[in-house]
Parts: sequence; structure tokens; C-alpha cells
Amino acid sequence: MRGKHSLFYHILIFILAQLVWLSLLGIWIYWYVSNYIVFEKVGEEVSPQLIYDVQNALPFVLGLILLIGLSLITSLIFRHLNVQLRLTKLYDNFIGNVTHELKSPLSSIQLYLETLKQRDVPLEKRKEFIDMMMKDADRLQSLINSILEISAQEKKRLFQDYQVYQADLFVKELIEESFLKFRVGKESYRITGEAPCQIVAGKDAMKVVFDNLVDNAVKYSVQKVQIIVSLSCNSKKITILFTDFGIGIAAKEHKKIFGKFYRIYNKEIPNVKGTGLGLYRVKEIIRAHSGKITVASEGDARGASFKIELPAYSELSKRKLKKLLKTERYN
Amino acid sequence: MMAEDFKGSNILLVEDEETLAVGLEYNLTEEGYLVKWAKNGREAVGFFEKDKFDLIILDIMLPYLNGFEVAERIRKTDPQIPILMLTAKTESGDRVKGLEKGADDYLTKPFHLHELLLRVKGMLKRKNWYKRSYENQPVYKFGINEINFETLTCWHGKVEIRLTPQEAVLLKYLVERKGEIVSRKELLENVWHLNPEVETRTVDIFIGRLRKYFEADPANPIYFKSIRGAGYIFEQ
Repeated sequence: MRGKHSLFYHILIFILAQLVWLSLLGIWIYWYVSNYIVFEKVGEEVSPQLIYDVQNALPFVLGLILLIGLSLITSLIFRHLNVQLRLTKLYDNFIGNVTHELKSPLSSIQLYLETLKQRDVPLEKRKEFIDMMMKDADRLQSLINSILEISAQEKKRLFQDYQVYQADLFVKELIEESFLKFRVGKESYRITGEAPCQIVAGKDAMKVVFDNLVDNAVKYSVQKVQIIVSLSCNSKKITILFTDFGIGIAAKEHKKIFGKFYRIYNKEIPNVKGTGLGLYRVKEIIRAHSGKITVASEGDARGASFKIELPAYSELSKRKLKKLLKTERYN
Repeated sequence: MMAEDFKGSNILLVEDEETLAVGLEYNLTEEGYLVKWAKNGREAVGFFEKDKFDLIILDIMLPYLNGFEVAERIRKTDPQIPILMLTAKTESGDRVKGLEKGADDYLTKPFHLHELLLRVKGMLKRKNWYKRSYENQPVYKFGINEINFETLTCWHGKVEIRLTPQEAVLLKYLVERKGEIVSRKELLENVWHLNPEVETRTVDIFIGRLRKYFEADPANPIYFKSIRGAGYIFEQ
């Protein structure tokens, strides 16, 4: 409903702007036509040549500037309103998704607590219920953290414990933790290549990156999940190629998926849950590491490849190193 | 928390959140119900086509087909099965949409276990009462309207309408008390089997729908009248 109202107001403002614009145009034409006769009469008497040039050229040029200016302003206002409308829509979706993501684990925890209070639950079941509650508590914590950290990240006030790591050991360890977390069995993934170089990275932040990539690969796979991670490095950078065989990403969405709140809709696998913050967070983290992330996909159920490039330790400037390895807490 | 006569009733639980589904399945089984768990909308429709169920507990945000789509598909083949929607959405528009798509009742997450079990029991009780009730008088006519309480099919003049079970139960309750003022509280207690403090808007939504189906001018009703401060009255 809110979206419909916003659209209505925007169209109304656009129409009003057009009316103002046309009124001004009318006033200008009226002014020009009525003064033309006066100018002509006065001009003929005072200085025929001078007035002739001025009254023809000056009002015309001024009017033209006014018209172009008004057109530009109107277009800019309308463009700005459209952007605002799109953002409001994305934000509304985000609120809806976050509400769902918060309420589901909360309902589950409440259900188990009430069950344990009201029923005589056997010991084995109790353990199972406690595990379920812990899983939900983790989910809540990770969602709350992601929302809070994004705000800190945007203000560049997020503390990361940057250290120097051996690239391939570091990446393999983190990515295997993510596979375990999202229940991707050993038969479903392969890690290939070597990256015997050093990188400077924040462990918690890079964990968020791999968790998001694995979570997306699982959520957007219609068939059995299959993931290949290829590592390589040269003197300048380490490259991590994360390939899944899911539904893929259409070319027009390659850039958009890294936008805040943006979510893909695919009719093959509708109603996938999420907040639209995951890949935005990934992009921001990689950027904070002075790296780059891009996606390649032919869409249409042909999977997607995320390429992460991080600078090798030896390539980072002294200034950047000092900045990254500074360990004091900002906030 | 006894299920009384309803032990052995078949419940289709449609919920994609594993942790919530496991807890619900345990509690419903403890009450004596037989539970089948569908993890997404597509699976739910498949189970429904294969097996016979007495009640459906349906989440809204589901993979493949959402709860609204599932309810709509189920209603096409079975207008009588009670559907309880579970939703994390709190906007009244979503609740109204759920009820319009054929849900009989809804519960917002997070919910209390006791309340859920009471609603399930209430819906099964209503289903039984309704079945017994329409056996005595399956067809009822008023004005240009004709209602078949067995098939839940109605005619408003030449326009055919399909009622949901909850609409039919409410209509039946009002028809049986023709000319009497029935309060919202009474309707919530006896038709919805709910604590009357819970949600009075539900009754208004359903009365609004009956007016839309059976009144020539729903804004100026002649059959389903509001009595200010007292409730509703069905007159013929």
C-alpha cells in the first residue's frame, strides 16, 4: 500500500512540476508578445538599430535558457523521485524479510521453551530441542550482527583483526568451516589449485564472505549442490574463484546483486529467504581488504562464478599495511 | 491438553523452517494427531493430492509455492478442509489476503503453544459440528441467495460463490440465530473458539465478506446488519 501511495505522490508531483513549467512558459510568451510591441515602438523612436537587436536576441536567449533550465530541473527532480521510490520499495522488502528472519527463530525458541515447561520431555528429546534452540540463537545472532556491522562498515568504524596469513591455508580452513556450517558434504565440493603466498586479512570478515557465498550456492541450487573453489596467486594478488552450479545470475543483474537490499527473483526457485544484505556485505568487506569481487554467469541454470582478488602482502603499500594492521578498536 | 475425540486426526504441517517444524510435529504428535510434514509448497500440494487430511497448518513464506498459492490450489479441490495459516507477517493486508485465499484462521509468529493447540482443536471441533449441522438442513435460501452447506456452494442470483469452511460456519451460526443480536465476543468464542480479547477485527473481515457475497449493496446491508455497540444480526 505504501508503495502505491508513494507512486501516486510522485506522479502528482511530476504533474504539478509540469504545470508550473507550462505556466512559466505561458507567462514568458505573454510577457514577450506584449513587450514586443512596446519595444518596437520605443525602439523606433530612440535607437532603431540597438533596440531591434536587443529586443530580438536578449529575450529569446533568456527564454531559451529558462526553458532548458526548467526542463533539466524537472527531469532531475523526477529522476531523483524515481530513485527514492525504488529505494523505498527495496527498504520495505528488506523490513519484511528481516521481520520474517527474526520472527522465525524466535518462534522456534519460544515453542521449545514452552514445550519443555509444559511437557515431560524425555532426556534424548531435550538434548535435541536444546540443539535446535542453539541453532536458532546462532541464526538470530548472525542476523543482528550483519545489520549492526553494515552500519559500522559504512561509517568505516568496523574493527577487523587483520593479520598476515598464508593464503591457501587460510582460505581452505575458512571455506571448509562454511561448508560444515551449511551442511555441504565432502562429495559436494572440491577445492583445487595452490596459493602459496601471503595475504593480510580479517578472519571474521572473510568468514562472513565465505558463509555468504556458500549459503547462496545452497539456497539457489535446484538440484544437488555442487561447488568448486579454485585458488591461485602471483606476485601481485591471490585469486579465489568460487563456482556453483545453481540457477545462475542473468547478465543484467551482475552488478545489481552487490547492491544493498537487492534480491534476485527466479521463477524456477521462488520465495528464497534472505535479507538482501549478504553480497553487499561481501563486496564491502572485500573492498576494505583493497580487493575486488566480480561475478560471471550465463544465467539460465548455468551456475555462477564469483571471482575474488586480494592483493598479496608484498604488494600492499606501507601506508595501507599500517592502516590494515592497526589493531586498536575504533568504536 | 487432551485432544479428546480428535486423536488420530490427520494434520498436514507445511513449514520450511526445520527447527520450528520439528517442535510443532512433536507437540501435535503428543496430542494424539498424526502429522505429515511438507517442507515446501510444492511438496504440500503433492501430499494433499495423495493423502487425506483433516486439517492443514500452513506457513506463508515457503519455497516454490507460497502459502497463499498452496491455499488457493487446495481450495479448488476441497472447500471444506480447515486451514490454519502461520505467518511472521504482521500487516493486516497479509492476514486479509490469507483469509481471502481460503485460510480459516491465522496465527502470527511468535505464538504460544497453548494457543496453537487450542486453535487446532477448535477448528477440528468446528469441522465436526458443521458436518453434523448441515446433515439436517443442507440447503438454505434467503432473498435471491441459495446456500448449499454441504458443498459450500452458493448462488447469489445467477452468480456462483464458493464459501470457505470458516465462512460457512459463521453463516450457519448466524442463520440458526436468525433475528437475534449476536455479539462479536459470542462469535469469537463459539465460531472461532478463541479468547474474545484476541482479535475482534477477524469477525468484521468475515462479516464484510458475507455482505459482499449476499447483499445487493454491501454498504447498506439488509441481511447482515451491524448493531452499534452490540454486534450483528441476521434478518430475513
